[in-house]
Amino acid sequence: MSGLATGSIYALMALSLVIIYNATRTLNFAQGEMLMISTFVGWTALQLLRAPLLVALLVAVVAAALLAWVLERTIIRHAISATHFDVLIITLGLSLMLRSAAGLLWTHDEFPFPSFFGSRPLGVGAVRVAPASLGIIGASLALMLALGALFRWTRLGRAMRAVAQNQRAARLMGISVEQVYSASWILAAAVGAVAGVLIAPVVFLSSQMGLVAINGFTAAVLGGFGSMPGAVVGGMVLGVLENLAPLYLPASIKHSVPFLVMITILIVRPGGLFGRVAPRKV
Amino acid sequence: MRPALEIDDVAVYYDKRRALEGVTLTVERGEIVTLLGANGAGKSTTLRAVSGLVRAARGRIVYEGRDISHAPADAIVAAGVGHVPEGREIFGEFTVLENLLVGGHTVPRRQIGERLEEAFRLFPVLRERRLQAAGTLSGGEQQMLAIARALMPRPRLLLLDEPSLGLAPLLSREIFDVIRRINADGVSVLLVEQNARRALALATRGYVLETGRLVASGPSAGLAADPRVRRAYLGLDGARRGAAT
Ligand SMILES: Nc1ncnc2c1ncn2[C@@H]1O[C@H](COP(=O)(O)OP(=O)(O)OP(=O)(O)O)[C@@H](O)[C@H]1O
Ligand SMILES: [Mg+2]
Repeated sequence: MSGLATGSIYALMALSLVIIYNATRTLNFAQGEMLMISTFVGWTALQLLRAPLLVALLVAVVAAALLAWVLERTIIRHAISATHFDVLIITLGLSLMLRSAAGLLWTHDEFPFPSFFGSRPLGVGAVRVAPASLGIIGASLALMLALGALFRWTRLGRAMRAVAQNQRAARLMGISVEQVYSASWILAAAVGAVAGVLIAPVVFLSSQMGLVAINGFTAAVLGGFGSMPGAVVGGMVLGVLENLAPLYLPASIKHSVPFLVMITILIVRPGGLFGRVAPRKV
Repeated sequence: MRPALEIDDVAVYYDKRRALEGVTLTVERGEIVTLLGANGAGKSTTLRAVSGLVRAARGRIVYEGRDISHAPADAIVAAGVGHVPEGREIFGEFTVLENLLVGGHTVPRRQIGERLEEAFRLFPVLRERRLQAAGTLSGGEQQMLAIARALMPRPRLLLLDEPSLGLAPLLSREIFDVIRRINADGVSVLLVEQNARRALALATRGYVLETGRLVASGPSAGLAADPRVRRAYLGLDGARRGAAT
């Protein structure tokens, strides 16, 4: 159960990476740090305003959206016509800058973060489950369904998928590809902020918490980078594997699991489970 | 009333390479004009410059009296220019219906249903296949979808890039019939074609491009009789068709 809970968080991180990748064909290495910053902003609202947790969540999401919008408009947009490599390096630099900024504003300490969900185990039949796990899974699933509906049934979602398939044709449909870039960054950041608020009670709030994005990346690769259902399944599989591995293998293996999984998938099935990206011809 | 389209002394470069050099042409309202030329002459580039996919380094592009040389592609679509690109470029992962809906991106929501009906009336086969992935359609059906998709916003100027390419004669005749019907509804058409004979039969006037420059222009009948055009395009066209079959 707790494997599925971590898995849900990985899935949300994978989704936010894939949302940006599909629109812009670049990876946002700062995704984790954006999650971290927005969670800190939400936490600050909790501390300063004694706001309820739900308000903190909203503050985190709005902060994430604003941060994404500003970063995309001021930095990424100008580099996007350059090679994709440049954008990669820029987001890598951004991740370092955001981490030190967080250190200056909030120090590099760990802080406890309140949870939406109680800590008393619930009995489901004979099984006991932590409400935190159930809550994380439930909230993540709800968010994923909302994303699915957005991509399937709204004009914006369809425009984003059209840009992912063929940017030039999308332009000929009257879609502003630039607006889709902005929307993708904002949406990805908002998803990340929700993931941040959900995971912070479990891993503590700290300037290092953005590292969870690495597992999101692995989950996305596992699912076949670019596929959204793949990102969800990849996240879940990764979370469960990470939880089960220590039962059968040395306990210290836990944190290497994502890398072992990534290496295995790249060797065995480079397209991922749901791969649509054809393996690059060399 | 200003013409549907005026291209005035336009030059286009891909990086440093020149693709168009001083092209000037006009499409009057309600007219079908064809743009002919060999492979690499710059026909597609001309259409891309009009729809804003590439930028003119020099010259002006005026649509219904409005200078659109610097307008972004989405604004040009919203202004009433439809472009059916070379190779169709349909969204293969989308269903037929989703392709049409994306085509209607700039259409007010309340009018979408009515526009879909129009599309299905023009191409009944698309109604049958509306829930099928567009990538699995035949070449002819994909071409119909590409045209229907571009018609969703009811453009007043339609740019068509080799709509009959790769189609069997019967299908390509059907496509030409549809172009005639679209034009009869008042849509001005700029048609790029490899099949010069058929294009000249449909168009009132034509232009001939050679390595980025216009080398001939005039009424279709005159062009069809022009010995240079006959040798270069009609003759070649016939020879190529002969070689292919
Ligand atoms: N994206 C591009 N990048 C660089 N050069 C290009 C690009 N597209 C076209 N060109 C070059 O510009 C010139 C004109 O190309 P264009 O596609 O407009 O010709 P065309 O008349 O449409 O040819 P075809 O009949 O083969 O479709 C050619 O020399 C072509 O190689
Ligand atoms: Mg062409």
